[in-house]
Amino acid sequence: MSAAVIFPPDQAPTTARNPSLATIAWRALTRKSGRIIGVLILLFFISMAIFGPMLYPKQLPINGANLYAPPSWAHPLGTDFEGTGVLAEIVTGSRYVLSAAALAALFTIAVGTFMGIVSGYFLGLTDNIIMRITDFILTIPGFPLLIVLSTIWSFGSPIAMGVVLGLTGWGGLARAVRSQTLSLRERGFIEAARGLGLSNGHIIGREILPNIAPYIAMNLLLSVTGAIYAEVGLFFLGVIPFQANNWGVMLNLAFGNGAMYTPQSLLYMISPMACIMLVTFGIVLTLDALDEILNPRLREG
Amino acid sequence: MKSLIPRLIRRLFGGIIMILAVASFTFFLIHLIPGNPALSKLTSLEMSGVQPRQAELEVSAIYGFLPHQPLYIQYLQYIWQLLHLNLGKSIMYAGISVSHLLLLALPWTVFTVTAGIIVSFVVGILAGVLIAVYRDRWFGNGITLFSTFLHGIPQLIMALLLAYLLTTIWPIFPYGSPYKASMTPGFTLPFIGSLIFHAILPVAAYAISSYGGWALTMKSSVVSVLGDDFILASELRGLKPRIRIGYIARNAILPLFTTLTLSIGFMFGGSVFIEQIFDYRGLGYMLITATTNLDYPLMAGAFLIITTAVIVANILADFLYTAIDPRIRVQ
Repeated sequence: MSAAVIFPPDQAPTTARNPSLATIAWRALTRKSGRIIGVLILLFFISMAIFGPMLYPKQLPINGANLYAPPSWAHPLGTDFEGTGVLAEIVTGSRYVLSAAALAALFTIAVGTFMGIVSGYFLGLTDNIIMRITDFILTIPGFPLLIVLSTIWSFGSPIAMGVVLGLTGWGGLARAVRSQTLSLRERGFIEAARGLGLSNGHIIGREILPNIAPYIAMNLLLSVTGAIYAEVGLFFLGVIPFQANNWGVMLNLAFGNGAMYTPQSLLYMISPMACIMLVTFGIVLTLDALDEILNPRLREG
Repeated sequence: MKSLIPRLIRRLFGGIIMILAVASFTFFLIHLIPGNPALSKLTSLEMSGVQPRQAELEVSAIYGFLPHQPLYIQYLQYIWQLLHLNLGKSIMYAGISVSHLLLLALPWTVFTVTAGIIVSFVVGILAGVLIAVYRDRWFGNGITLFSTFLHGIPQLIMALLLAYLLTTIWPIFPYGSPYKASMTPGFTLPFIGSLIFHAILPVAAYAISSYGGWALTMKSSVVSVLGDDFILASELRGLKPRIRIGYIARNAILPLFTTLTLSIGFMFGGSVFIEQIFDYRGLGYMLITATTNLDYPLMAGAFLIITTAVIVANILADFLYTAIDPRIRVQ
């Protein structure tokens, strides 16, 4: 950190007095019981996505004699319109949903942060052009755009899905990052860095980026929820040919095969939706803890 | 009022540029679709023995351009047809013009989306005022928690849940069509009643999934207005609470109009799900059926109309805001 040049050594923050990041994180987590629950929910779904599909065969068995069965030991969440276990479908489907959402969030963050910082730091023509594009992207309704794009872009793999969601979803973040950069660039330490003749790359990478990193980390988690809705929605609408099972495909098949019309399909209909809501819930609760870990002002209280 | 006109012109100009950009996007999209549908249609017509001139006429009636000409000529042809409000002809509804199909679909979307925006706006503002007034009591905290939770649920899930729970598990509401199938559409009281009764669930799905945003914005807005000096002054002057609430509400609602523009796009985007789930033959429904049935002219047209509707609605909301808040006009 080049700020050390400005402060005399005895005023530089000492690591000995400050608690370590792990301690801070633990304190923030245990302050409210909801936060622990949130992290546990997320860990549960992440391990479901990683290890879950190993428990089941690649092709889930169908059973014509066991349609819309009530919960049993073999099928704890009952069965669907083909007699396949709902729990098996939920578990095997979680990997695609979560990996695509995580990739989408990464792409969104990368593009949004880059556009926002470049726009807010260089200003002038660059800023003008980037902000026009941002306005355009924010105006066009996202879902119709994704539907239309599905005709030329195959969304099948989690990576392809993540790229498309990232490229269409960065507008809001770019605007927010730009305004943060705008306020940072007028601050003394940035001016000092400029006065020292440091390169733009250094100022952006070493001075500005670390200062907005907490904000970006929060948005990373938040983008995951948006990406989950988007991909599940696309699969529900059936505009993407599906190669593997996931929660959106489950809802699509349930809707298309008349599960809407029978009360026996309650668990089959509710399970994927409940999972999506649980993941969202877990993310919101974790965000609350993350906010306190990353924002020193909240820690004092 | 003077600065209103240049502002209007600037906004309209920006809107036209944006619509043109979307039109260019749909033009190039049709060219990027694997297999070049326009060209292959032309070849297959010629192969089946149709006169070349006849085949060209047919393809250009469907897509709005001739696929074997240079790209810039195709582009100019396409834009020229759009300027004449000609969006080509549908493939799945053979021979029917896209603009006719979309004109039939438009009222359904405008009806449900407008009702959804109005209901969520009103409910959101009322909830926001309640939260702000009772913010230190369990009642206010309860509404806050409830609104935050509902705000996180996407329209797709809200619509599916409402449709499944309230028509199948507890059959309170009708499901599956915008009005009772046995009725003939017309301006009769029973028909309008049936229309409204069938619209309760879709409009509720729109409203419930977006009122939370209004409520939370309104709450912080009311709280900040409560701290203003003129509120203290009106209190000291001994004005009636009813009049003071009027002061507060009028000033607190203003910031919400900036959020309105974002909400319009969100609502039109959600129309895709709500129309699919509740079987409304609106623009979103057209977009989906056209995409899944490879009816590219209809798909491009529906996308263009949805985006245009959002852009126009944004300009209208902007003007509403300018008309209500005199402070904007000065700038």
